[in-house]
Amino acid sequence: MSRSDESRSSLSRRDWLRLSAGGAFGVSMSGWLPLLAAETARQPERKRSCILLWMSGGPSQIDTFDLKTGHPNGGSFKPIDTAVSGIQISEHLPRIARQMEHLAVIRSMKTKEGDHGRATYLVRTGYPPQAALKYPTMGSLLSRELAREGSVLPDFVSVAPFTGLNTAAYGPGFLGPKHAPLVVGGRQGFGGNYTDESLRVENLDGRGSVSLDRADARLSLLDDLETGFTASRPGVPTESHRAVYDQAVRLMRSSAGRAFDLSEESARVRDAYGRNLFGQGCLLARRLIEHHVPFVEVSLNGLPGGNVFGWDTHQNNFPSVQQLSTVLDAGWASLMDDLKGRGLLDSTLIVWMGEFGRTPVINGNGGRDHFPNAWSAVLGGAVRGGQCIGSTNAAGTDIAERPVSQADLMATICRALGLDPRKQNLSDIGRPIRLADPDARPVEELLP
Amino acid sequence: MSTGPWVAVSPASAGRLGLTMLLFLLSACVPLKAAEPDDATALATRIDAAIQARWQKRGVVPAAAASDAEFLRRASLHIGGCIPEVATTRRFLADPSPDKRRQLVDHLLDSAGYVVNYSHFWRKAMLPEAGADRQAAQYGPGFEAWLRQELTDNTSYDVLVRSILTASPAADRRARDTAGVAAFRQSRQNEAPELATATARVFLGVRIDCAQCHDHPFDTWKQDDFWSMAAFFTGIRFTAAAFEGTEFRGPTIAIPDQDRTATATFLDGTRPDWAADTSTSQVMAEWVTSPGNPYFARATVNRLWGYFFGRGLVDPVDDFSAANPASHPELLDLLAAEFVAHQYDLKFLIRAITASQAYQLSSVQSDPAQNDPQLFAVMPVQWLSPEQISDSFALATGTRRQFTPYRGLISIQSGGSVTLESLFGEDGRSPTEREVTILQALALMNGNDTTRATNLRTSRTLAAVADAPFLNNGQKIETLFLAALSRLPTDRERERLTAYVESGGPAQEPHKALEDVFWSLLNSSEFLLNH
Repeated sequence: MSRSDESRSSLSRRDWLRLSAGGAFGVSMSGWLPLLAAETARQPERKRSCILLWMSGGPSQIDTFDLKTGHPNGGSFKPIDTAVSGIQISEHLPRIARQMEHLAVIRSMKTKEGDHGRATYLVRTGYPPQAALKYPTMGSLLSRELAREGSVLPDFVSVAPFTGLNTAAYGPGFLGPKHAPLVVGGRQGFGGNYTDESLRVENLDGRGSVSLDRADARLSLLDDLETGFTASRPGVPTESHRAVYDQAVRLMRSSAGRAFDLSEESARVRDAYGRNLFGQGCLLARRLIEHHVPFVEVSLNGLPGGNVFGWDTHQNNFPSVQQLSTVLDAGWASLMDDLKGRGLLDSTLIVWMGEFGRTPVINGNGGRDHFPNAWSAVLGGAVRGGQCIGSTNAAGTDIAERPVSQADLMATICRALGLDPRKQNLSDIGRPIRLADPDARPVEELLP
Repeated sequence: MSTGPWVAVSPASAGRLGLTMLLFLLSACVPLKAAEPDDATALATRIDAAIQARWQKRGVVPAAAASDAEFLRRASLHIGGCIPEVATTRRFLADPSPDKRRQLVDHLLDSAGYVVNYSHFWRKAMLPEAGADRQAAQYGPGFEAWLRQELTDNTSYDVLVRSILTASPAADRRARDTAGVAAFRQSRQNEAPELATATARVFLGVRIDCAQCHDHPFDTWKQDDFWSMAAFFTGIRFTAAAFEGTEFRGPTIAIPDQDRTATATFLDGTRPDWAADTSTSQVMAEWVTSPGNPYFARATVNRLWGYFFGRGLVDPVDDFSAANPASHPELLDLLAAEFVAHQYDLKFLIRAITASQAYQLSSVQSDPAQNDPQLFAVMPVQWLSPEQISDSFALATGTRRQFTPYRGLISIQSGGSVTLESLFGEDGRSPTEREVTILQALALMNGNDTTRATNLRTSRTLAAVADAPFLNNGQKIETLFLAALSRLPTDRERERLTAYVESGGPAQEPHKALEDVFWSLLNSSEFLLNH
């Protein structure tokens, strides 16, 4: 028997029969799932997945992961111990603190863009904005590398993105529309109230308007029309029409589409993540990862019912960050707990960041302004956790050691996902573009 | 102005007809430029000679000529921004007159659809950021409103561009919308380097962006060339007389990170004569639009050619460079010269292009050699704009809608239904290279618009067809084809679908079977694309 056969046979034949007969695949309820998942995660064929937790507006590093207690810049939050001695974070992230052994905090991010639109683009693509070339966003770039053949679910799902300030920073750029994300919850604005409809895939089900027989008949009529038309008109528009309609129908009809149905989860679980867009988005991310979706991003753009642009706390920094932290803590920590319980944490890279940090000096409105000079990002899951990379000075105004650029971070993310950051894609103007800038140096200390 | 023999009023077009009447009244007050059919036809002949010469040289057999139905739909979309109405289609197909295609073009150019369609077209060309950038989007509506006015008057293109570059409308139009015309400058915050880049790209077809920071890696533009151009956009107004006695050579601008300044110099290396009291923007506007400018006319005709043929003679249309030569350089020069000779009349150009046999080729590929897009040996299949998709859908399904001039630009994300425009929003790719997305497919299959349009109780088109006592099933199917695809069904299609309807489909009701047929037409790529 081959090696892979051996590893599969450690689940008894009876187990497999029970699982398939019960139609249990895709439903995450019974205790057998950790067993199956552990097998899956250990198999060399399972590629890594990535979850990007995007903090729109630029989260304050001093009030989250890089506290300056005792210094005038420190503000009102108190530090708490984490599961790793020597590392302290904000008191408003208690559950995340308990996850610290799986997290690596980069306290020395240093970038050059202080404008929301440009900084969002810079950090999400790993390259500065240029007129001629449209770089792909991280999710498009990496999902393309990690995609599996013949998957029904799209390879890149984006939950509640707020794209208004720079739509190109959320798009596939020169990789083309095939690598654009499937967006759910995209019209919630800053602080949409969460309802059960919020994260559904628009129009995924036929809303009961016709019976399955009629739907089949319709598709057959469409097929007749298309065959005649497309055969004599080769080219991207007609061929993509065919391919994408096929994919859409498969998505509609397959059980994999139920990954988007959060009502399958118990109320207890949904409460633990938080009944808001971000929390339920994290729950959706977990379900999609279980279905082998390579890249999911979940944006935290604001507070439920609120009207403020996310973490962009130019005023009332402390109340806002506290509330956002509470939402963040519940969703993120539940996500990590559940991934761990399913044996998926080691093969999932979690990236937490925004487009920049915030000023150490508190302004006249009790707020903090944009600050790309020294900020924090956090990697979790498929990294060597329980450590801090780099540091800032006592005032938080500059990097003390080990500056990390957006390109360095992108290269690190690539390596953590088992990808070579120097791999090249051909852009639409013929220039080869590497996954990460050629000058990037990955943070080796983080890599397993 | 004649409305032609084929326009019929249907409930769905009441709104559009109202606007047509309004514009008719307006235009009756303004003297129209005289139509010159002979010149346009003559130019079309010369276009064909140039295109055919290359076919012969390469031994390529072109596709067949487009049928009347193909031409009607294609021209209606390209010029009027929408598919034709059923009655229009029927009459056009039955019309025996030999010059009906030219008459159709003339009629479309005089229609409200032309004004609306091209207001979107030129706004997207001149303010591309407005589709993606919140801050630029606020200038979109005013700019489009101003464009609609100018298009209604058929303002010649050089006058239009001068108004834009000097951010002031022509003197006799000052009473009308003045804010909109400033959009080109304002959406770029009047920043000199941004304006230089945009002016070069939009009006001259030249990308000098890279040269902002260093000498262009692929092309001949040096960093000094960029900043010499940018020096015109500092917005300074001065009197040359103030510099009498000194060696005044023009306004200057400091080159960032370098120790020198650049003096205002045009891209072709010449400098203006600063003798009179003029603003820098006026000087620039005059240079850009002067007949002697080597780029302006060629870039403009190329942009329009690219719109009609899916690919410019130079492609991408705003990337003229030594490394990117025209596929038909003499043709490009000819079109440019004729454009100038006809006072930069956009409609003249459109008449000539659409009269050519090259434009009137079918999209059905009959030989693999036709695949080379630079030969223009077959009409490529092209994406429609979001507005064209939305308008065509509304017309085909009989959905009455208000005329909303401001669409397709990003809206604040806060609830509201997904419109077809937002779903099919432009992504900057060439119209022959765009792909359908899953969300688009799902919306077309299951979305509210489609569900309403394919339900007898809520669809005007279906209701009109299904209940018509004077139509048999075959004729009902024919009407649905005319409504959605602007053509008659083939014999095979008619036979097969009539049998389907008569059997009633899975629901065993002929009315429901008609709904199914209509659904398939609206979801076809034939409906969604221009071909």
